[in-house]
Amino acid sequence: MTRGALRIYLGAAPGVGKTYAMLGEGVRRTERGADVVVGVVETHGRQLTAERLEGMELVPRKSVEHRDTMLSEMDIDAILMRRPDVVLVDEYAHTNAPGSRNEKRWQDVDEILNAGIDVISTVNIQHLESLNDVVARITGTVQRETVPDAIVRRADQIELVDMSPEAIRRRMAHGNIYPPERIDAALSNFFRPGNLGALRELALLWVADRVEESLNTYVAAHGISGAWETRERVVVGLTGAPDGDMLIRRAARMAGRVGGELIGVHVVSDDGLSHHVDENLLAQRDLVVALGGTVHDVVGHDPAAALVGFATNERATQLVIGSTQRSRWHELWHGSFVGRVTRLANQLDIHVIARPESDRRSTTHRRQHVIRPEIDTRRGVVAWILAVAGLPSLTAALDGMSDRLELSTILLMFLTLVLAVAAIGGRIVAAFAAVSASLLVNWYFVEPRNTFTIADGENVVAMVVFLVVAVTVGSFVDLAARRSIEAHRARAEAAILARSAASLVADVDPVPSVLEQIRRTFGLTSARLISLDGPTPSTLAESGDATPGGKVVQVDIRPGPNGVRRQLDIEGGALTADDHRVIRILADQLAKAIDTQSLALEAAEATALAGVDAVRTALLRAVSHDLRSPLATIKAMVSGLLEDDVSWTPDQLNEALETIDEETDRLNRLVGNLLDASRLQIGALAVHLTPTSLVDTTNAAVQNLGREANRVEIDVPEDLPFAHADSVLLERALANLLTNACRHSPASSPIRVTAGRVGDRLNLCVIDRGPGIPASDRGRVLAPFQRLGDTNTIDGVGLGLSIVQGFIEAMSGQFTMDDTPGGGLTVTLSLQVAEDCERR
Amino acid sequence: MTGPTVKVLVIDDEPQIRRALGLNLKARGYEVVQADSGETGLRAAAEERPDLVLLDLGLPGIDGIGVIEALRAWTNVPIVVLTVRDEESSKVAALDAGADDYVTKPFGMAELLARLRAALRRSADVEVDQPEVSTASFRLDLIGHRAFVGTEREEVRLTPTEWSIVKYLVRNPGRLVTHRQLVTAVWGQSYDPDPNLLRVHMGHVRRKLEPNPATPAYFITDSGVGYRFDSGVVPHQLRE
Repeated sequence: MTRGALRIYLGAAPGVGKTYAMLGEGVRRTERGADVVVGVVETHGRQLTAERLEGMELVPRKSVEHRDTMLSEMDIDAILMRRPDVVLVDEYAHTNAPGSRNEKRWQDVDEILNAGIDVISTVNIQHLESLNDVVARITGTVQRETVPDAIVRRADQIELVDMSPEAIRRRMAHGNIYPPERIDAALSNFFRPGNLGALRELALLWVADRVEESLNTYVAAHGISGAWETRERVVVGLTGAPDGDMLIRRAARMAGRVGGELIGVHVVSDDGLSHHVDENLLAQRDLVVALGGTVHDVVGHDPAAALVGFATNERATQLVIGSTQRSRWHELWHGSFVGRVTRLANQLDIHVIARPESDRRSTTHRRQHVIRPEIDTRRGVVAWILAVAGLPSLTAALDGMSDRLELSTILLMFLTLVLAVAAIGGRIVAAFAAVSASLLVNWYFVEPRNTFTIADGENVVAMVVFLVVAVTVGSFVDLAARRSIEAHRARAEAAILARSAASLVADVDPVPSVLEQIRRTFGLTSARLISLDGPTPSTLAESGDATPGGKVVQVDIRPGPNGVRRQLDIEGGALTADDHRVIRILADQLAKAIDTQSLALEAAEATALAGVDAVRTALLRAVSHDLRSPLATIKAMVSGLLEDDVSWTPDQLNEALETIDEETDRLNRLVGNLLDASRLQIGALAVHLTPTSLVDTTNAAVQNLGREANRVEIDVPEDLPFAHADSVLLERALANLLTNACRHSPASSPIRVTAGRVGDRLNLCVIDRGPGIPASDRGRVLAPFQRLGDTNTIDGVGLGLSIVQGFIEAMSGQFTMDDTPGGGLTVTLSLQVAEDCERR
Repeated sequence: MTGPTVKVLVIDDEPQIRRALGLNLKARGYEVVQADSGETGLRAAAEERPDLVLLDLGLPGIDGIGVIEALRAWTNVPIVVLTVRDEESSKVAALDAGADDYVTKPFGMAELLARLRAALRRSADVEVDQPEVSTASFRLDLIGHRAFVGTEREEVRLTPTEWSIVKYLVRNPGRLVTHRQLVTAVWGQSYDPDPNLLRVHMGHVRRKLEPNPATPAYFITDSGVGYRFDSGVVPHQLRE
């Protein structure tokens, strides 16, 4: 009998909808005609889940007695007897009641599968054994029910049920997950956005891991060896040819299909063979960047080798090039570019993209403008062959008819051949040809023949002129070739410098990108910018990894405006003197960029300082305003009482004194807050951490509220462990929070104080139903001496919340603000459980 | 206080100071209307027709200056400004906008009451051109432009500019006149004189009219804001 198939819905957190998804799949399979029964489902009292369950066949659970309590478990025997096609089994990680046949539910599932029945099950990420401790660290909740990863991985299909933390919290707030009375506590404990985000990431990573795993299995099974890149890198060669756009788009599509990276490469030729900077190329660079790729330049004599070398270094998997632009003759003579690339590359997929017909004519036309004046090896060889083979041939040809020819004619013919050699091969081969030719002429054609003696003085002059002309022409050809190479090099350098200058202007922080450019352009292993300021050199920026003990070349850089000395350390790459010159120029540009940056930084600091002054003035104004407001009331009241022009009724007198009393309290509170805030700011707060009872502290803080005390509902369990806190500071923090909450919420709504333990932390929440604080304003509220709304004088200088945060953080606690579901602000103070006093 | 009750509109966003003012003013026989913002204050002014407005400058929403401008668009009700912003700029702006006087928080109740009475008295004065102003130290014939000082009533001569200044101040007795208002009255709207010029002219006026020019008793400087003429006719009311 074949084993049944197991499908598992993996949830990132409780409430994402695993069970719902499982039931949905059950319904789908039923509709497709399968015989589906429900083995066990926990609805957790969730309405939607219960609705989904309607109309499905449930296999009755079996009751198990354990220590006088009845527990119900899935009835395996009943299921095996019923023999459905598919069984739905919730909570794969569930531990069965003691005395059951199997200890774990997954073992039950195993039995069902062995009977050839398909199973659909669910499991939460926090129940996976390998993640158990990680989850406990994140959420502070230890899961007792776990299932080994291998057991879950064995499933034929794992489907992730994913939901964003915000959506889960929204579902929670709507009461879709827990009953209303548990919502507040759950939102501020397990269901905090941070927790949910972390769990979600864990779940995604775990599933991704499994995908990788099956990939590896596949690789092994199919005998694939060598570098297997899970992330594809597609390299496309940029030439500036008209079909380049098409090439780039094709490459981008290839990269896009596999979620890979697009890299454009332009080979800056140092011999100028195919080099021309033009508008097309610039447009193509922009296109690559626009398609989300990066562009790099490589200097190389041989474009094919440079391209393949770059692709290999970058561990590219695909290389996209255009079909050849050259004529058949050109290919015969120079060899095919595509062919060379194919020969050089191994482990690379080469894509040669054919050009549309219409483009071909235009490129052929353009080729006429390509000038090739320099001497390369191939031309040298041709010249030598011409010299070595041509001279004896010419001698042999002329020997027969030498009687009919003047010596000058013979000399002119030899001169023609020597000039041809010089024009092709340059000075050295020209000199060789000239000497050989003169010797040959001397031997065969000058009287006395067959000796090297020259009788006629005129002939001597002719011979010398012959030699001088040949060597001179050869030298000129050489010089022209060298000039041409230099011109092309200069053009290549200019192109690189222009690009680095562009990135210096365009980038916010150009240093890393310029370093990277230097490294790639010159094929360096590493490049690092070092500051010699201070006793030991320090690295300012680097690109590439230095090989230990590698040969490092140091390039000095112009000192900065304040005499700071810097240098560029480069390693690897075969650099010519010209390369060094270019690198030095680039390094100077870098230095200038750094100087500009530091100047900009100074300017920003100056601006910030000016801002600080403005803030200070505003603060002084706010403080004086807030201190004077209660003072004004007191002064008005007292001076009014002092005047003897009226007699006061007892009621009026009482009201006057009450006003004075309240205003004095307000003033006192304000001065206390100002003191606390300044202590916090200069770090002069004395903190004495002792085991502190949250119950006592909360009660004390509420008592001190005076008239408002009866608005506060306290829900702090008596048996909560002590917190590691400063009781005085904690009480002041709570008092501040409560005063704040009372002021900002309508008099009819209660303020709630709740507390609970999460892992080794205690969370104390103050929950109000006031207007709340929009998330975007929270940072501002916490800046000391800031308040929401400028002329609002109600809550002092807005010190309340920032002082609470300061106090709590001084106790190594955490202060967070959240929305109260349904409106209002919930402030959570998270404190450490006192270690030496775990239980009262 | 006799006669019909005087109605005061208090516009301040702080409930505590409103309570203190309300208690004190009611105890002294004023009728008090309260408003906690510029908007409600303007509405109350239109509906209640108060005899005087006590206005806090630092209001949420429409600020104090805005309230003064809105009030002055339709009424000459005396406005006394309350402010904790004791910078000159806001005071001067309020006075320029048409407020009659200001009191800086914290203030003594006696001072506030005196300012209220002065402001009320001014509005009670019919706007007739008094031909003559008499004080203990001097007598001014505003029509004939003649001034007599001392017990002997010797005549002193004032320049035309000095007469312009003196006339404007004595016709607004007790009211704080800002530098700009005075300059506009004397030299005209477009004139922008050296601020010291006014001080120099005031110095001359004081030397000629005040019994003791170093400690002026009639032409009083509110430094940085302007000048106030105190006739000394009702000295007991201004005593603290």
